[in-house]
Amino acid sequence: MKIGSIRHVRGFDVARPISIGVMLGIMLPLVLLPLLSIFVFGTSKGLGVFWSSLIAPDAVFALKLSMVTSFWATVFNVIFGLFGAYVLSRYDFWGRNAVIVTISLPTAIPTAVAGFALLLLWGKYGMIGKFLSEEHQIMFTPYAIILANIFVTFPLAFGVIKPVFDTMSRSLEEASATIGATRWQTFWHVTLPSLRGAIVSGALLTFARAVGEFGSTILVSGNLAGNTQTAPLYIYAKFNEGQIEAANAIAVVLALLSFVIFSVLFFARDWLEFEAQEA
Amino acid sequence: MNRRASFTTIKASLLLLALLGLITGSSCLPKSPSESGGTVNITVYGFSIMKESLEKAIYPGFVAKVKTEHGLDVRFTSSFAGSETITNQIIAGVKAQVAILSIERDAQRLRDHQDVTSDWHLLPQKGILNKTPFVILVRKGNPKGIHDFADLGKPGVRLIHPDPISSGGAMWSILAIYGSELVKSEKQSGEADRARALQTLQTVWRNVISTPGSAREARTQFESGYGDSLITYELDALLMKQGNPNVDAEVVIPEATILSEHPAVVIDRNVSATDRPFINAFMQYLWSEEAQRAFVKYHFRSSTSEALTQENKELATIKYPFTVDYFGGWDKAYPEIIESIFRDSAQKRK
Repeated sequence: MKIGSIRHVRGFDVARPISIGVMLGIMLPLVLLPLLSIFVFGTSKGLGVFWSSLIAPDAVFALKLSMVTSFWATVFNVIFGLFGAYVLSRYDFWGRNAVIVTISLPTAIPTAVAGFALLLLWGKYGMIGKFLSEEHQIMFTPYAIILANIFVTFPLAFGVIKPVFDTMSRSLEEASATIGATRWQTFWHVTLPSLRGAIVSGALLTFARAVGEFGSTILVSGNLAGNTQTAPLYIYAKFNEGQIEAANAIAVVLALLSFVIFSVLFFARDWLEFEAQEA
Repeated sequence: MNRRASFTTIKASLLLLALLGLITGSSCLPKSPSESGGTVNITVYGFSIMKESLEKAIYPGFVAKVKTEHGLDVRFTSSFAGSETITNQIIAGVKAQVAILSIERDAQRLRDHQDVTSDWHLLPQKGILNKTPFVILVRKGNPKGIHDFADLGKPGVRLIHPDPISSGGAMWSILAIYGSELVKSEKQSGEADRARALQTLQTVWRNVISTPGSAREARTQFESGYGDSLITYELDALLMKQGNPNVDAEVVIPEATILSEHPAVVIDRNVSATDRPFINAFMQYLWSEEAQRAFVKYHFRSSTSEALTQENKELATIKYPFTVDYFGGWDKAYPEIIESIFRDSAQKRK
């Protein structure tokens, strides 16, 4: 069989192993090996060092702070994502497209710029901040971290939920209205179940992105260990201090968390779509 | 549902539940240990190399002292970064109560911004907490043959140097390079040779391969194996060797070098009337014999007592030491040397 004439895929198709090999080969130095090196280095000095780095009070605090601030940012952005997607999908108004573009802007802005912008607005001499008293200052508190997370993950849940709204068949909603359901009842019992999958994947995406946020957090939080230092900030601080093992342990935790989140997103996708169709 | 879909559902639900448990279990902001009632909280922002001496010796010493004398618990919260960085953070509004800075100019900046209203010169030793000379770190065996600052300008030498924008240590280093040439030429010919000093600064700066944000970051980079050389605080070089005995580094003591002097100031803006007695007590403690001895153990030189400094046998003797007063203080040194000579002449690469 001539090698050059492989257009059909009867028999052995050499393009298959070559393509797979090339794909993995490209991924290896760019993605796979860096990820692997975190795990290899993290346990290279022995599990004892790894464990003691994990249970250090500042490390535990940093992880907890990351979880909590990301959680609340996710809650806010999913609720707004639902609301915004509903409004922008159902109603047409002058400037509608501009609003959709603006919602997507935060992902294009460098995160350091986002942090800087928040400081300019809420800082002691900021446009809003200067009207706040000393005790009610938002910057350099955990609330600033939540604000920054909301900003940088703003379009993620919205971007997942809106297409579902757009492609949703209105006939069910209209039917529900004709039999006397209120707007809220229609939303809760008819619209929302179809959005379940999008809400879950939007929430998981937002959460994963918020946990990993660094550029804006380092500017607005003040980076006080055991107070306003999130997990990525902790890793950065430990690395700069020369405590590579401590940084590595937390890096492993964050890497595992992202792995779990995206595994769920992947394995549950069938379930999410299936359930959506059933509803 | 077929069997495959139901298996996926179970897997997915379990994972989701685990995530949910993780999240909701911690949906309230974690209690910062310093917020527990009944304790006195002191927030200190220090420049990058202060971390070990403060956290391992000074804080525990002060906490023990207050506990035995007054029965109160003291909790310290700290943040460490380049001196310029922490000064900018304090100006931006972080709630620091005490700042330990690398250069006195940063204290002046805080005073100009009215974050510091009391005069730190009224503190012991005019507010200078401790000092250290600037030394050169090279690889073991000194393969590039570096014996003084001028040798760092030799072709092929790769120098790591912190960024003067964010690091106080970087500015000390520049003054050390420039000043050492002035002092040496003065000793040789009786007149300070500015042209030679500028030329040395230019050739050295041309060999800089990386400018990390703080002195400690620069040390970490060097320790990880990058570059041939590093100019840093003597104490950080000694701390590095102490923490990592097998590190590929050795210390070269220049003939003439600057002694950096580190001020400690109170950020009056963030100190309430109830905090004030504890902050004052802490400031007085910093110059006590106990604290100064602790600093010497961590390779600083004491600002109060030469005898205490002698207790540390690893500290080198500098042949021709000078301080920033040689240039007329930071008021003159900053605009004349850092800004016009370094920034405008040396830093601009061709």
